[in-house]
Amino acid sequence: MTTSTTIDPITLEVMASAMRSVVDETFIALMKSAYSTNIKERHDHSTAICDRDGRLIVQAEMSLPIHIASMTGLMTSVLSKVKLEEIEEGDIFVANDPHVAGGTHLPDINFAAPVFVDGEILCFVCNIAHHADIGGMVPGSMAGGMSEIYQEGLRIPVVRLFRRGELQRDLFDILLLNARIPEERRGDYYAQIASAQLGVRRVKEIAGRYSAATIRRAFDDLVTRTRARMRLAISEIPDGTYTFEDVMDDDGLGTENIPIRLKVEVTGDRAVFDWRGSAPQVRGNINVPVNATQAAVAYSLKALLDPDIPNNQGVIDCCELLTEPGTIVDCRAPAPVAARANTSQRLIDIIIGALAPALPHAAVGASNGANTTAVFSGTDPRNGKPYLYLETLGGGFGGRNDRDGKDGVQVHITNTSNLPIEAIETEYPLRVVGYEIIEDSGGAGTFRGGAGLRRIVQPVGHRCTFNGAGERFTNAPWGVFGGGRGRPGRFVLRSDGEETRLPVKPSGIEIGPDDQVVVETPGSGGYGDPHGREAEAVADDLASGKYSADFARKHYPQASTGATDPAAAAE
Amino acid sequence: MDTTDWLIGVDVGGTFTDLYAFERTSGALALHKRPSTPDNPAEAILSGLRELAEKAGFEAGTVGVLAHGTTVATNALIQRTGAKVAVLTTKNFRDLLEIGRQVRPRLYDLKADHPHPLAQRQDRLEIDERIGAAGEVVTPLDEGSVDAALKALRDGGAKACAVCFLFSYLNPEHERAVGRRLAEEMPELSVSLSSDVQPEFREYERFSTTLLNAYLQPLLNRYMRHLKSELETLAPRARIGINQSSGGLMSPERAREFPVRTALSGPAAGAMGAVHSARKSGRPNVITLDMGGTSADVTLIRDHEVSTAFDREVAGFPVRLPMVDIHTVGAGGGSIAWFDRDGLMKVGPKSAGAVPGPACYGHGGAEPTVTDANVVLGRLSGRGLLGGAMALDTQASHAVMKPVAERLGFTAEKTAQGLLDIVTANMVRAIRAISVERGHDPRDFVLMPFGGAGPLHAYGCAKALGIREILVPHSPGILCAEGLLVADLSENLVRSQRFPAIPENHEAAQRLVDEMVGEAGDWWRREEIAEERRSLKLVVEMRYQSQNYELQVAVPVEGLSARLPAMERLTELFFEAHDRAYGFHNPDDPVDVVAVRLTAIGRLPTPGAPTPGPRATTTPEPVERRNVWFADEAPHYTPVYERDTLSPGAVIEGPAVIDQFDATTLVFPGDVARVDDALNLMIEVET
Repeated sequence: MTTSTTIDPITLEVMASAMRSVVDETFIALMKSAYSTNIKERHDHSTAICDRDGRLIVQAEMSLPIHIASMTGLMTSVLSKVKLEEIEEGDIFVANDPHVAGGTHLPDINFAAPVFVDGEILCFVCNIAHHADIGGMVPGSMAGGMSEIYQEGLRIPVVRLFRRGELQRDLFDILLLNARIPEERRGDYYAQIASAQLGVRRVKEIAGRYSAATIRRAFDDLVTRTRARMRLAISEIPDGTYTFEDVMDDDGLGTENIPIRLKVEVTGDRAVFDWRGSAPQVRGNINVPVNATQAAVAYSLKALLDPDIPNNQGVIDCCELLTEPGTIVDCRAPAPVAARANTSQRLIDIIIGALAPALPHAAVGASNGANTTAVFSGTDPRNGKPYLYLETLGGGFGGRNDRDGKDGVQVHITNTSNLPIEAIETEYPLRVVGYEIIEDSGGAGTFRGGAGLRRIVQPVGHRCTFNGAGERFTNAPWGVFGGGRGRPGRFVLRSDGEETRLPVKPSGIEIGPDDQVVVETPGSGGYGDPHGREAEAVADDLASGKYSADFARKHYPQASTGATDPAAAAE
Repeated sequence: MDTTDWLIGVDVGGTFTDLYAFERTSGALALHKRPSTPDNPAEAILSGLRELAEKAGFEAGTVGVLAHGTTVATNALIQRTGAKVAVLTTKNFRDLLEIGRQVRPRLYDLKADHPHPLAQRQDRLEIDERIGAAGEVVTPLDEGSVDAALKALRDGGAKACAVCFLFSYLNPEHERAVGRRLAEEMPELSVSLSSDVQPEFREYERFSTTLLNAYLQPLLNRYMRHLKSELETLAPRARIGINQSSGGLMSPERAREFPVRTALSGPAAGAMGAVHSARKSGRPNVITLDMGGTSADVTLIRDHEVSTAFDREVAGFPVRLPMVDIHTVGAGGGSIAWFDRDGLMKVGPKSAGAVPGPACYGHGGAEPTVTDANVVLGRLSGRGLLGGAMALDTQASHAVMKPVAERLGFTAEKTAQGLLDIVTANMVRAIRAISVERGHDPRDFVLMPFGGAGPLHAYGCAKALGIREILVPHSPGILCAEGLLVADLSENLVRSQRFPAIPENHEAAQRLVDEMVGEAGDWWRREEIAEERRSLKLVVEMRYQSQNYELQVAVPVEGLSARLPAMERLTELFFEAHDRAYGFHNPDDPVDVVAVRLTAIGRLPTPGAPTPGPRATTTPEPVERRNVWFADEAPHYTPVYERDTLSPGAVIEGPAVIDQFDATTLVFPGDVARVDDALNLMIEVET
């Protein structure tokens, strides 16, 4: 490509700004008109534009990192199944399957609508939304205990939900019949359809200002410039081989301490992520499709090297992976994958752990490393209707090179909001008994790790079922550069004055109106030697109650004596 | 006997304090601008009033109304200079204010956190009590835990306290009981109850708003007392109104109680001024563009009404209160151009601010800014700003533009035009956010630029959005102060209660309205508003049962007794709003009412149109001609007019530049500007 055919940096910025406007607008339209809490309050959705070759061009600012994989995965599947000339104006494709349609788990429903300009496809407008249920064995389609994808819900290959602007009623009926609470599903589908159609209109408006050829040129230039920017960032990592290994607690079906191994080979402006040697795929649903592994690499590179880099194909092109098919990081049909986000979190911890020696200023302690999920379902005694309340809770964010980790927050691959307590108790027959930061859960360090969260829930006037998924409940989040480990998480059932520890991935736990479920999420690892922590900072932790006196005495002897205690240091 | 009756609007900004004065019987107008006194904003108000009175030849003692827009609260939040504050909250929930919504502000930034709450964890004290989702008492208020909290409060030395209990918006009794104990036993403490500050659903947003309010109370208390006592000497007849973020005025007593309501007081005044100016020109639908040195605020006006938003962040904290729906973007005269790591050019949000300012200010600014681009293109006069009081160094602007132009291989002028294209694109995104993203087509609106830099950049925005008319108000640099003068006194009431929109619930809903109408009556009497000056606005917030974002459904009110229409009709109004916002509605799905909002209004006298000055004529002569670059490769030899030589009926064909004291307007080639009877400049944009 010669410079004479590229678009100047000013015009390109103005065009990019117009495209960002489209994806942000479609993101908000989807959020506001959706029916399910998962989208409207927790913002578990994303929007993007892909070009006609399936390359990701622009993603809404609030899009989730893991959805970057499904966007391109869907486009690849559409283009391999359907010839471009067979696609017509007004078609909308829908898919969700991780094994044949580029998805990452079944509840994420992907949409793609072609945009025609002058009778030719210019690009596709895409969106993804996590539906609160897609059928299958368990309400919420997310719980542990499933061993094949068929149990996880309805598998949708690439199909047309709209043909030439006509909704395919027969297909829509199948989609709705196979999910619990179909009225809610229909509302969410409508929101996705409206968002896609809005995006098509908006891109056409842009095409009214610039020619299709200029826009295609802009797509190329944006991807090329971003790729060059990412390569430049990678070249700042010292050349070398970096390795790291960690384990998943369990798969919910008896396989424990599942190893994941990484070797990163950095040479100049290239980094190859070699995951070979990781465990075979497991029976439980924590397997990761390879494009979700790629999304974890993309997230980590961006976060460690250049957080402001635009999210487009240029970043993905720099993510070079080596995997063995049939392993936990590149699973194959019929592997179940619903809780793959837990593993994605671990992959990111591992990448950061591997690159920490090379990037000490950017690295952070291992975070809560989970997507701690709690699902309560039953029949609401107030109106006799079934209900399902799903929530994922934040935990500790690892200590950083110049500041403590954040307490009680979503980390890395996820950033979904909590649901207000006043919303939970109004919508569901549940009472939230407590919601707090857990004492002594942030790992010690010069900069301590963030603390985990405790939430206690009790059914009101009825019996209900609890399902959950935890990680870092048996393997604590580690610190970096001498930082200490954070406290692991756990699920506890309080009944008749007794506390019973539940499995890491509890399934079908019956609870009564006098019982309470205690969800405790993991803290996170600290950064740097605890003896380097300023006495004033420890005093603050003691005053705020985030550390107990015992914990401080054990890990921060300098705080009480004003000098390092050699005995404790040797401990 | 002195029969004059002056009304004064005072807008206190970071750099200038603007005063806009109007005499009710003669219609006389006077304007004044003086430097602000950030350490004690009241000083500039008082001296500004004295200077203005002297200039316009009236006695300050004859001032009848003084309306004030203040940034005291906003600055205290940004600079964290409020009081030491404590929180009393429901047992087991003291961390709620710290956890917030458990999200990170920036997805890929490992270092970015939401700010720490204004009250330390050890100052967030727990009370054993609990209200349930139906407003029922689950755990009665334990007085013993209140005793313990009061003791801790005394020991902790807090000057203010927020009382934040779950579900207090449904049942405020526990909060009130604790409030009474605090008033009795710690009378010197400033107290804010969440059920008073904003009795609405969603605990974190309500608690956060309440905590901010408590944090600001001691400061605003001092400021209001000082201002009031000084004004009692200088202008004893003046009724003082403090502008709220919703665009209505409140009494100083109300402002002391609810200081968080002033958090966006300044920009709201601009929107009120815009409504007023547009009304005089008969334009009901307006998009405003208020562009200053560091940022641009945009807002949407429909049928003479400013749109309202309820969710905003102020200084990183959520505030849930009715506020003028303003979108802010880091695009101002001082915004700096730079190249990102991928080589794309960006403008802002970093700004050269007032110091050093753009390179052309000659105070050492070394980076190219938006103002420098305007200088390079000849759009700003080399004679300087503020009527020549502030010289511009055109050489300096050219010098900072040169390295950028060389990197791009462009001329300085093409580079400057590109820089302005980018800043325009940023403002266009903000305007799209408040218009198309809310279901409004910008082509149905007039664009009203104001602030120092607005009229220079309106054309590009209008073109990009398909807007065909630009309205440059008579005094674009002082529109906020004018807006304060035309604001009404207002009080926003709300009942947050969720129920299905079915006929059986009509009576209960009407009861909520009636309760609020009663409260409105009390407020009117307290504020001594005459009967003929009272009015009401009723809005019902509705959504589909399974949605979480409510839509505002405006209900017409006749007279002073607000009647809800039948639920079927209300539901139809909701469907219309849903169509407008999202392009569809589902007629079969159940709809809920979420909240009912009533605004009580007390109208104050408003000024009429300004009269043309002595130099005004319908056939003005240009004061100079110079080369100005518009959208083309070559400059136009362009006439420059002075705004105060234009009288109603004057017509100016582009290309032209129209200069006035604190703003410069461009009329592009092919466009035509006409001065109307309100002395507003109406520019027809060629499409």
